Amino acid sequence: MGIGYAAIAIKAGMTPLETISMSFLVYAGAGQIIAASMVLSGATAMAIILTNFVVNLRYFVMSTCVLNQIEDSNTPLNILAAHVTVDESFAMFSLSEDSSIWTYLGIAITAWLSWCLGAGIGVVLLDLLPVIVTNSFNISLYALFVAILTPAVKESKQIALLVLITAVLNIVLSQFLGNWSLIVSTLVGAAIGMYIVDDEYLISGDV
Amino acid sequence: MDYMAVVILGCAVVTFIPRLIPALFIDKLDFPPKVEKFLNLIPYTALAALICPGVLTVDNQLWYIGLIGAIVAAGLAWKKVPLGAIVILTVVILIAVYSIVPFF
Repeated sequence: MGIGYAAIAIKAGMTPLETISMSFLVYAGAGQIIAASMVLSGATAMAIILTNFVVNLRYFVMSTCVLNQIEDSNTPLNILAAHVTVDESFAMFSLSEDSSIWTYLGIAITAWLSWCLGAGIGVVLLDLLPVIVTNSFNISLYALFVAILTPAVKESKQIALLVLITAVLNIVLSQFLGNWSLIVSTLVGAAIGMYIVDDEYLISGDV
Repeated sequence: MDYMAVVILGCAVVTFIPRLIPALFIDKLDFPPKVEKFLNLIPYTALAALICPGVLTVDNQLWYIGLIGAIVAAGLAWKKVPLGAIVILTVVILIAVYSIVPFF
């Protein structure tokens, strides 16, 4: 999944070490791809950093949700858990009914390392793989999102309606708000959900 | 420091701060039931917003490639195929789709 990012980073003239260390230190899918695209278009360092701050503000919400669900933790483990919190680890953990820090770290650190590994593989293999194959890898993240969401949609018409409303909202808002639309749609969607989803359709009170 | 080092370290710091704040102050956060419901709903809405319209940009030239991938993944998930298998099968099917696209 990191292969798509590696493709842009290498095209932007970043060295293999820079490409992989960004995956390790920043660890933000969309944020890194945007940063690499901005390097490619010659943006200033300040513009890139500010854009990343805005795009990655959503992790505040995700980190809060994850750490609120965990019951058996301490501050050093929480700090590690915070760094490895991204859309995928957050979504998978939120939809599981587990409340253990070790379950979360297991999911999230695996995702983190495979993201770094993907960048490494991408750097090495990119020249060898045909465009068709690298493009097909781009779907893997979305396939994961769809696969996580589908059982809940199947289970509850109310969740299905909420997902549809949020998707349409984000399609419309992304025309006007650009990268802000993701976080705005997520929060507005959840606010709408307060009125259209009954409590019993939500995962029991772990979160 | 050179340009790329500033970009990488700067992005790392500004990305870590929003993640870190809840880790330091989570014990002091106690949510009422309405806020918990709101937080419970966020995974669903976040995934919906991540998928749409982003999935249509999987291929910058052919918007329907991502749509086909999403439909395949949803169909497999509906049939309760395991998560890892869904991801791998979707990638494989897209490679197959790409190889027939030139014939249309």
